[in-house]
Amino acid sequence: MATLGVSAGVNAFEIAATALLLGLVPLGAIAMRRRPLDGLVALELAGSLLVLVLLCLAEGFRRSVYYDVPVVAAAMSWIGGLVVARFLGRIR
Amino acid sequence: MDRRARRRALPRTDPLSNVAVDVLLAVGVAAELACVAGVVLMRTTYDRLHYAAAGTTVPAFLILAAALVREHLSSGGLDAIAAIAVLFLLNPILVTATARAARGLDEVDEP
Repeated sequence: MATLGVSAGVNAFEIAATALLLGLVPLGAIAMRRRPLDGLVALELAGSLLVLVLLCLAEGFRRSVYYDVPVVAAAMSWIGGLVVARFLGRIR
Repeated sequence: MDRRARRRALPRTDPLSNVAVDVLLAVGVAAELACVAGVVLMRTTYDRLHYAAAGTTVPAFLILAAALVREHLSSGGLDAIAAIAVLFLLNPILVTATARAARGLDEVDEP
């Protein structure tokens, strides 16, 4: 297993998932503080970030059934973003 | 006298593939976090949208490549390909819809 020099059962995919999760913090700050459209952009990137986190965790835990979760998350985050974008586009 | 079960060695992975996984993951995570930094630091919505769209291209494929080094084309590997394909192929539609919404709101804001 790839370990990046870290032992005690933590592999590189789990470290990558943790690092990617940290990226959600500034995106949450953007979503809370800026205007709604900028929040939507942050939400879109957070969705793709989440898919990559789930992918890394599925490989990190070595469970093949977990790979179904990022597929569903990718589709659901896309649908959610599209609904919000259409909603914001109708505001005049 | 000695009836302990024989110990078997765990299956070892190729050290070269370990290095490949580490490098692909490190570059992929760094690129994705650079996209996050771009969304945070840019001033206009369109610039932010550019970085948000970039997050579903190169970084996603690098992390997919790292997963495929381990999984090859097993069911898990195919699911990983499907997840990244959904991200990569459908995200331009979302980016276009968001940009259209931004343009509509900008037209409302202008006198």
